[in-house]
Amino acid sequence: MTTIVFTLYFHPQVYADNLFSPSFEIDMGTINITGGNKTSATYRLSDTVGQTAQGQFNSSGYIIKAGFQYVRELTPFTFTISNLDLNYGSLVPGTPSLLTNILTVTTGSAYGYTVKVLEDHPLRISNGSTTIADTSCNLASACTQTDATVWDDNTRYGFGYNIQGTDVDTADFVDNTYFRPFPIQDIDSPATVMSRSGIATASAATVTYKINIAGSQATGTYQNNIQYIAIPSF
Amino acid sequence: MTSLHYRHCESQSAEAIPAITGTPKLLLKSQYRRFTPSGISEPQFEVPKFAMTILLLIIFLTSVICHPPSASASSYGVSLTPPLLRVNIKPGKSITQVFTISNLNNEDKLLVARIVPFTQSDDRGNPSIDMKSNPSWLNYFGLANTHIKLGSPFTVKAKSSEQLILALSVPANAILRDLYSTLLISTYSNISSPKFQGSQVSAAIGANLLVTLHSDINPPTILKISSILPNTGAFFKVGNIYFVDNITPLSFSTSVKNEGNFTSETKGIFKVTGQNNTPTYLEGILPVYVISNTQRILLNSEGRNFSFSPNLSQIGFYKIIVQINSENSHTENSIDIFFFPFKIMAGLIFASIFLTVILRTNKTQKIEYFPIE
Repeated sequence: MTTIVFTLYFHPQVYADNLFSPSFEIDMGTINITGGNKTSATYRLSDTVGQTAQGQFNSSGYIIKAGFQYVRELTPFTFTISNLDLNYGSLVPGTPSLLTNILTVTTGSAYGYTVKVLEDHPLRISNGSTTIADTSCNLASACTQTDATVWDDNTRYGFGYNIQGTDVDTADFVDNTYFRPFPIQDIDSPATVMSRSGIATASAATVTYKINIAGSQATGTYQNNIQYIAIPSF
Repeated sequence: MTSLHYRHCESQSAEAIPAITGTPKLLLKSQYRRFTPSGISEPQFEVPKFAMTILLLIIFLTSVICHPPSASASSYGVSLTPPLLRVNIKPGKSITQVFTISNLNNEDKLLVARIVPFTQSDDRGNPSIDMKSNPSWLNYFGLANTHIKLGSPFTVKAKSSEQLILALSVPANAILRDLYSTLLISTYSNISSPKFQGSQVSAAIGANLLVTLHSDINPPTILKISSILPNTGAFFKVGNIYFVDNITPLSFSTSVKNEGNFTSETKGIFKVTGQNNTPTYLEGILPVYVISNTQRILLNSEGRNFSFSPNLSQIGFYKIIVQINSENSHTENSIDIFFFPFKIMAGLIFASIFLTVILRTNKTQKIEYFPIE
């Protein structure tokens, strides 16, 4: 059934319905079984219409449309992350440690996407409750989970991230000195780190994770989980 | 230096930026025998065979311990298709849809699939998923696979795919409404090992499910198109009329709000009409979904703002109209514009003034050269 509906809606042979008049007007609901692009010097149209769906719905009780009308083939939505294990090494108080990984998104037949991020909790000692707090960046301009600001003061401690690359909000992450703290799972809403309205082909962005501790930070093994969620637009 | 018990042989991956530098120095004085004439030392390794073997063994073991291949190669690469499923279904009916999940990595991946509801989206169709929400209608969904269930981990082998058969069974007494959710497939991880140090990154990929439960294929929709606003071009507004230069390309933005309870689609046209409502330009609207009680930006079929390039012959009143039509509703909005060659007229006026000034200046100068005796 899906195949039948899909074939009707994405029918490649649309040439019989080329419409040429420069002054023509379409009543979208009354053309039967056509679809595709129609262009002339004065108009560009892409539509799929048909009234057979009504009959199918009445007989079977459902209509399924998988994918997007304006994309003729179903190509997969793809998300990759270059490195999943971020080990910050032995930390020196007042000397930030930095690590990076790369996020890559290909929308395929989706028309746009967002990548959001959150952490399960701040970096926390494995056998206790002591944490390395999430950063609030420089004292002069505190950052939030949705607003990056400069963090280059080595007397400001914490854990945060910067992202640079394609489909990144450069008005927020102005350069690689701008950081945000991670939102916390079950407490905060995930923060958007990459977003695009339209087709993306291997959009890539580099995330830099920064950690800076005070001399009073308790010795131990600190850990947390950072989750990225890539969802296409609809 | 505060020791946090982190390994000493970390941060060696290609992506690592070691902020703390401190290369271990293993200097064997006996290895440096002489200097080259240029003064640059040239080590000569005249080490006994046994010592060389031990040294090589240490180097080998160090490299194996510090560079475990699995640690540096741990990455994520997953694809999912289709990215969107739109279903209109009557209560009491069931459907299935196959989703294909592919593991692009060189290692097997343990994944878990679940349905996460959402109720809102931004004006570009990006859902705001709610991980904590657990409405009762989530029970309508399930996986028809033999060995894979929602919420239970399953393995996708390296460089291979797995098909998830999503089943939707709507009870006959289900409330007529829309159900918005995302099929979210996450990397599965148990509680981190106490030995793991740092941040462990996990990932999830989704596909959106827009389901309408109704006995009619076209449930009533209420769409309202917001004001059409010129973005670029040369124009000014007096009252409700835009006065627009007719040699400057124009672009317009607008959006639509779904005030109904069911998802609607933005099938329609953007058009420019002249006298007698004769269309002079038509452009298709990108057909996207607008879920209930949300707003969505309208774009042309290429995903950009609507554009129109008038020409010199177009002078007078025109209308910019945006129409959206569905099987049982019609909505449109329009603005009035007056095309006029303002730039050309301004140029002509400026040139006329310039010429007049020049001519008057020349006239004055001629009078000065020929004084009356």
